[in-house]
Amino acid sequence: MSTIKEYLTNDHHRCDELFASMENLATSSLESAKEDYLKFAGETERHFQMEERVMFLEFETKTGMTQGPTAMMRHEHTQMRSLMKQMGEALETQNKDKFFGLSETLMILLQQHNMKEEQMLYTMAQQHLSAESSRIVEMMESMIVE
Amino acid sequence: MDFNGLSIDQAPPISAPLRFFLTAPVFGLIAGILILFTDVNSLQSRFSIESILIAHAITIGFFSFVMLGALTQMLPVLAGAKIPKVELVAKISHFLLVFGTLCLLSGLYTGNTLLTTFAFVGLGCGFLMMIIAIAYGIMKVKNFTPTVKAMATSLIFAFFVLLMGLVLLYSHIAKDISEFHLIISNIHSVWGIFGFAGILIIGVSFQVLPMFYVAPRFKQFCKQKVMWLIVFGLLLWLVSNIFYDAFAVIAKLWVALFFLAFATTVWKKLDARRRPISDVTVWYWRSSSVFLAMGTIMWVADEYFGNNYTVLVALFIGGGFIFSIMIGMLYKIIPFLVWFHLNGSGYMSIPTMNEMINKKLSYAQFIFFIVALIGLSLSFFIPALLEIFAFSFILSMIILQYNVAAPVLIYVKIKKMKPDFDMSAFTIHEGNK
Repeated sequence: MSTIKEYLTNDHHRCDELFASMENLATSSLESAKEDYLKFAGETERHFQMEERVMFLEFETKTGMTQGPTAMMRHEHTQMRSLMKQMGEALETQNKDKFFGLSETLMILLQQHNMKEEQMLYTMAQQHLSAESSRIVEMMESMIVE
Repeated sequence: MDFNGLSIDQAPPISAPLRFFLTAPVFGLIAGILILFTDVNSLQSRFSIESILIAHAITIGFFSFVMLGALTQMLPVLAGAKIPKVELVAKISHFLLVFGTLCLLSGLYTGNTLLTTFAFVGLGCGFLMMIIAIAYGIMKVKNFTPTVKAMATSLIFAFFVLLMGLVLLYSHIAKDISEFHLIISNIHSVWGIFGFAGILIIGVSFQVLPMFYVAPRFKQFCKQKVMWLIVFGLLLWLVSNIFYDAFAVIAKLWVALFFLAFATTVWKKLDARRRPISDVTVWYWRSSSVFLAMGTIMWVADEYFGNNYTVLVALFIGGGFIFSIMIGMLYKIIPFLVWFHLNGSGYMSIPTMNEMINKKLSYAQFIFFIVALIGLSLSFFIPALLEIFAFSFILSMIILQYNVAAPVLIYVKIKKMKPDFDMSAFTIHEGNK
């Protein structure tokens, strides 16, 4: 069983791959990228919820920190959800420039967000929650997206 | 547990990096004007005052400004480190560095010792302030990744490059050029290029290439060992350069080998990247890889040509490699910062990153820049070409200035309007969830 840090870091890489394959298809036609967009947006939403509904809650309960790093990460999730929604709208209206403008912005936002989580938050979470690591990973894996 | 590295106000104020980024092209432009009005014979020697002026307008005015600006922004993201009182430190040191660089250029040009003394104080205090502040931030880092190690190592080189620079400047002020002047200036330039800039670029690229382009990750050997091998090479070169000059070429080969390997690795990683997008930043990474490869080979080969081509080596490595990467990064960082800070303050109807800089203008800037690099190299052999390519360089710097200012103007314009959301209330709501 992987640790919280390994599990969520690997999930970042998986979402990066989905993002790249969506963009790959979108270069030829936006229509062909729709399915991959749904897959990417769905898996990214799943990742956010695994954090917000499981890991962040456990971390906040353990450390008592509700307005610290997790609040910052939640805020960035909101920013990214809004960008993903706008990307979906650009796909519907077949606006290629808008789509790639949004995808570029999302990509950088996503990467700097992931970096902060991997560098700091996951490391801290692993330290505080090491005893419950397997249980938390299991809960994240079995979580149903709302 | 220290949570300061990852708090709501983690990102430094936008003014900290922007003040450095916005001034850099001005010094590029000054360098271009100096090239245009300098006699070609003076440019063929690296020791002429004109060559020294142009080199420092670019290395201090452009390279170090971009590197310092980027560090204020990247340290929190890549290392989770915060520079203490970043806004104030950036403001004061930026002022001192601008003042110091202008005094250096005008002082060396006119031979006015009062100006060079001001330069000594301005550059010495400005750089020291930033180096100490960044070092303080790095010392608090808990998770020492290869990128953080590279940043710290590069900072140590920066410190020594600064000390040597001040010694060299002092000898100009005292008008006492000793026999060691040449040796110190050699170490100053080689450590500046490969130790300060080179190691920082390699360290940051470990993160940036996989992050921005979904390129394959660097191998553990690259991330864990290569930097130390380069440091060893630079120390070996230092010792051989001072005591056993005949063997310096071996150390040169050692250092060159790893930079050559880096150049080819960058090219291959870009080929294997998963994101298909090819924007001007990819073009800049590619050009920097080609120029770095040519420059390192030439740097070693120059030993056998009596160091007659040092200016060309500087043009390829400084202009082609370091300059290229830095311009490329500016095109990514500035639009993102503008978007990030506006969105974070509650503005929702803002242009995307791609809409902030005119694509055609960024490509035009790239073409003028690369044409200038090639042309200036050719003018080393055909002096009549110098003027026309100096123009091309000047033009590329003017367009660059416009391109980096455009997103900042968007920022200023939107900031004057009322935000769509009150983010302070939003943040409290999120925090209480």
